[in-house]
Amino acid sequence: MPDLRARLFRPARDPAWGAAAALLASFAVSFVAMAASGRDPVDGFGHLLSGAFGGPGPLGETALKTSILILTGLSVAVALIVGLFNIGAEGQLIWGALAAAVVGRLEVPGVMLLALLAAALAGGAWGLIAGWLKVRRGVHEVISTILLNWIAIHLIQGWLVPGPLAATGSGAHVSVAGTEAIQRGAWLPRVWPGTRLDLGFPLALLIALGVWFLLSRTRRGFEWRAVGAGPDAALAAGIPAGRRICEGMALSGALAGIGGALLILGTEHRYPGVFRTGYGFDGIAVALVGGGSPAATAIAALVFGALRAGATRLQLVGIHPSFAELTQGLAVLLVAAPRMFQPLLARLRGRDAVPP
Amino acid sequence: MNALELTGIRKRFGAVAAVDGVSCAVAEGEVLALVGENGAGKSSLISVACGLYRPDSGSVRAFGRELPPGDPRAAIEARIGAVHQHFMLVGPLTVWENVVLGREPRRRGFIDAARARREVAEGAERCGLAVDPQARVETLGVAAQQRVEIVKQLWRGARVLILDEPTALLSPQESAALLRTVRALAEEGRAVVFVSHKLREVLDVADRIAVLRRGRLVQISRRSETDADKIAGALIEGPATAPEASARQGERGPVLLTVRELSCASDRGRPALRGLSFELQRGEILGVAGVDGNGQSELAEVLTGLRRADGTASLGNDVSFHRSPAAARRAGVAHLPEDRQRRGLCLPLSVEENLALGHHALPPYARGPLIDRAGRREKARELIEGFDVRPADPLARAAALSGGNQQKLVAARELAGGPPPRLIVAVHPTRGLDPFAARRVHQALRAARDRGAGVLLISLDLDELRALADRILVLFEGRSAGEAEPEAGDDRLGRMMLGQEPARA
Repeated sequence: MPDLRARLFRPARDPAWGAAAALLASFAVSFVAMAASGRDPVDGFGHLLSGAFGGPGPLGETALKTSILILTGLSVAVALIVGLFNIGAEGQLIWGALAAAVVGRLEVPGVMLLALLAAALAGGAWGLIAGWLKVRRGVHEVISTILLNWIAIHLIQGWLVPGPLAATGSGAHVSVAGTEAIQRGAWLPRVWPGTRLDLGFPLALLIALGVWFLLSRTRRGFEWRAVGAGPDAALAAGIPAGRRICEGMALSGALAGIGGALLILGTEHRYPGVFRTGYGFDGIAVALVGGGSPAATAIAALVFGALRAGATRLQLVGIHPSFAELTQGLAVLLVAAPRMFQPLLARLRGRDAVPP
Repeated sequence: MNALELTGIRKRFGAVAAVDGVSCAVAEGEVLALVGENGAGKSSLISVACGLYRPDSGSVRAFGRELPPGDPRAAIEARIGAVHQHFMLVGPLTVWENVVLGREPRRRGFIDAARARREVAEGAERCGLAVDPQARVETLGVAAQQRVEIVKQLWRGARVLILDEPTALLSPQESAALLRTVRALAEEGRAVVFVSHKLREVLDVADRIAVLRRGRLVQISRRSETDADKIAGALIEGPATAPEASARQGERGPVLLTVRELSCASDRGRPALRGLSFELQRGEILGVAGVDGNGQSELAEVLTGLRRADGTASLGNDVSFHRSPAAARRAGVAHLPEDRQRRGLCLPLSVEENLALGHHALPPYARGPLIDRAGRREKARELIEGFDVRPADPLARAAALSGGNQQKLVAARELAGGPPPRLIVAVHPTRGLDPFAARRVHQALRAARDRGAGVLLISLDLDELRALADRILVLFEGRSAGEAEPEAGDDRLGRMMLGQEPARA
């Protein structure tokens, strides 16, 4: 009996295949779930696909959402590389968004670049706090980043945006409340006429390429990976592990911050009064499915971006768009599952996974 | 009747046959020693015996009854108990809690603590194992923790006791006490399987000696019918070569390292070094002996920049070389750390990345801010060949290597990976290594000395210290208990290690 089960549950040797299998399985389960709820799953998935890939408009939406998810996914992945689990991409993202919205109002040349830079700095600073707390005070980053999310949300959306930074004369129109609109010159130019796809997508791809290069080709990237892989060994080898952790968290926050800037400079053009993104949290899912590799993270971002874009069309067949979250959650669960069941699997297979 | 009988055991890991058709048995009242190099299959064999591995073929019988393969619970129920190299103890719990954990005696639904304490104390006393049932395990030394493990197995009714390299971490006195315990357990009628590298111990304690080589049983003989030479001959392929003498080639030079009144605290905040002073010359190997926990670990950490201390340590004229690990490395300090898996290696990274660790900012590993991938690969191949790291694959993950090969990896990096080191701090450099891997590390240390480096060799193995060291410094409670010549006897060194021999001027 155990042999049969062992064969059935043997995890794929290559983690990339494991992630792909998990994605496929989560789609299959969603398919069954859709059928079980009395809808036509073929029709549902048809709408999902056409909402994601059916023509320039949907493709543009998918790419738009993918670009933000690439950045938040990379944010979480970079933190994982230095050994930290960053739950705080959401808070870092909205700080970046606010910084972009504030700097984007300046009437100076190169305002778009300045706004992006400001967003990176703001997000990076917020990430650095968690890194510093970890290194200096031993505060676990999961706790600190969750709490820092709430601090960011309440500071920005509860006070700064409706208060000191609120657009003047907007009091009468609560629905459009938010900060003043940014300069035209700060808008990300559209790169595909007829769609909302802007410069953010190529920029995100470029950044992913840059992160890959940094991690796999530079000394500094090697030191980050060494710190994440064995902090004590890295320290004994003369690598200042604490400083590298802080740097990694700052980069992690900066990436999420740029993601926030893309939302403001590309589509919102101001910090809106109501700004629920969830991109920061979805970045965790993207990074986990991507398994810490920038390329795989970008691919995972594309899958989840398409899911997000396509889910809006599901309403046409009476399926709540949160259906996309079900699929996404299942994918994360299935990617994490092999690790959760590793001890059990090892037992079933007579523990031949790790030779002595 | 045999207490434990293994028949035709085979176990493969991928393409490698770890155990290749081994049959052996141990009777009640008998001590069977299992000897072999690293990777000869000793650990795999005992893992099969206690149900941790499912063999590909062959059977395990305990007291005549066949055990279901790969079922540790069945092995425990068949009264097979194993004490592994890495203890399975819960630090914050007391000794008696650890012993009864999972099988607590109960009274009206509650743990019967009084009965558990009494039974543990009685059990320990009956076997002559000195443990305090109320002590917290994390406050105990290695030897005491090992006694707790043995008491645990005995309390659980083990009639077959498997000890995996039990003396690797012990001082000579502690080892001698353990060997007496093992004999006493056998007199009581228990069967003992004793795994060791150390021929002297094996000849001391065993009734029969089984030699494994490359997964096969190549010799099994009664103690009375064999001797050290015969075993050594069976251990290695081809004729045994005598271990080369410590022939010095280089000149002993001026003083390299001066340590004056060094004091520091341990991780728990207790004084670990209390005014230690000594000197180390260029071209000299200074052995540091002592019972584990007398400041050796902290001394190594201070000299490699990992721990702050009062007092002075100067390398040449440099008094601040140990202000950080990076500074120590720049000053030419190489470190073979005590815990090579935690402090020596980044286990998830590849062999070539681990070989570059610490030297990674220098050519040939780097070009400016970038990694020189071709240079790193080439250097990795050279180091792998020079130190015979197996498998010889620069892209293998360090975690996939055996313990001996992991240590060769660390030694290759520290001794030959970067600029030639001036001071080498080697802590238990051959612990857990087979004689061949150990000899390679010894050769590398001697070569570094002959080149003019100073070597601080911290070891619990007196044979190793004698074979390698030019002088032996004995540490006791964080101070020097005096120095001895390598020729000094066990008894004299032992007394010094226990603080009973007054330091000589």
